[in-house]
Amino acid sequence: MGYAEFKAPKGVIKVELELSGDVISLISLSGDFFMYPEDALEELERTLMGVRTDRGSLLEAVRRFYDSMGVRTPMIEPEHWVEAILRAAGGSR
Amino acid sequence: MNSSVVINITRKRENPPTEWRLLPLRVDDAFMSMAIDEALLKLNAEGKSPNTVRFWRWLPSTVSIGCFQSVEREVDLGVAKKYGVDVVRRITGGGAVFHDYNGELTYSVVCRQDDVPDDIIESYKLICGGLVEGFKRLGLRAEFKPVNDVQVDGKKISGSAQTRRWGSVLQHGTILIDPDVRLMFELLKVSPEKISDKFISSVYERVTTVARGLGQKPDFDEVAAAMRAGFERSLGVMLTQGELTSAEERLAAELKPKYASDEWQRKR
Repeated sequence: MGYAEFKAPKGVIKVELELSGDVISLISLSGDFFMYPEDALEELERTLMGVRTDRGSLLEAVRRFYDSMGVRTPMIEPEHWVEAILRAAGGSR
Repeated sequence: MNSSVVINITRKRENPPTEWRLLPLRVDDAFMSMAIDEALLKLNAEGKSPNTVRFWRWLPSTVSIGCFQSVEREVDLGVAKKYGVDVVRRITGGGAVFHDYNGELTYSVVCRQDDVPDDIIESYKLICGGLVEGFKRLGLRAEFKPVNDVQVDGKKISGSAQTRRWGSVLQHGTILIDPDVRLMFELLKVSPEKISDKFISSVYERVTTVARGLGQKPDFDEVAAAMRAGFERSLGVMLTQGELTSAEERLAAELKPKYASDEWQRKR
C-alpha cells in the first residue's frame, strides 16, 4: 500500500494505491480539488486500474480520461495527477 | 452600471429572469441544510424552483468536507464528538470548512447554468462578486481571488464551492464573521505540532474575519443584508423575499437521511 500527497496549484491530491508488479491494482483518489462533473473521479480511478506506473503510461491514461469525459478541473492538469500517483507508487515499492 | 452590461453579454438565455427569490435567514442542522441546497438545485434544474439566494447558519456547529475528501484524513472525529460538532460531506468539491454557529454565515446561490458564464472561474467571479460588493458595504476592501475565494487585505475572508448538475448551478460558501480559529484547527487534521501559537499566528496572516476587519462583530442580519444588496448588484437582478415551497420542503426531507448516513460520510 502506497500513499502520497501532492500540492497542485489549486488543491491537494491524495493518492492511496496498491501495485501488482508495476501495475496499479487498486487506487483511491481524494482531496480538496474541484472536478466537473463530480462523478468523473470514479471513472478516473477505473481508468487508472491496470496502468503501469511510469510517467508516460500514466499521462496517456489521464489524458484519455480528460478527453473522453469532457472533464474540467480548474488549475489542475493531467501532469499533477501523474505526479501524485508516481509519488504514491514510489512509496509502495 | 457597467457590471450589468458585462453580465448581459455573458448570459446565454434569451430572457434571463430579472427577479430572483431571497429566502429568509435560516438556522438548521448540517444534514437539513445540505438537503435544502440539493433540493433547490434539483428543482431549479427541473424548472420548478426559481433562481434563489439564501443565507443560513449551522446548529450545531459543523465541519463540512468536500465531496472528494476522505473524512478520516481531514477531520478529527474524536474532537468533533467531544465538542458536539457535526460532520457532513457536501456535494461540492473543495476543502474542509468549520462552520461555527457563533461566528460564520453561509450563503447559497442556485440558478440555471445559462444564467452564469460557462467558464468555471468566470462564474465564481460573478457570484463571488456579490460577496465582494457585500463586504464593501460593510466597510471592507474586498476582492475576488481565483478560483473561489474572496480576500480582504490579501487575507481570505470567504471560500466558496460550486457544483453543476442537471443544467443548474449550486454555489455555496462561507462568510467568516468571527469563528473560533483554535477549535477549527483542533477539528481539522493538521499535524499536532502545527497547532501551536506560532501556527495560529500564521493563520492570522492568511485568514481574516469581518469582526477583525471592522474592529467589532456585526449582527448576522446586518451581514446578510449587505450581501443581499451585493448579490443584487453583481448579478444584476432584484431579490424578492420568498419562502421554501412545499415541494422543496418535501424533497429536502427526502434527501436529508442521505447526508446523515454513515455511508455518505465515509464515501471516500
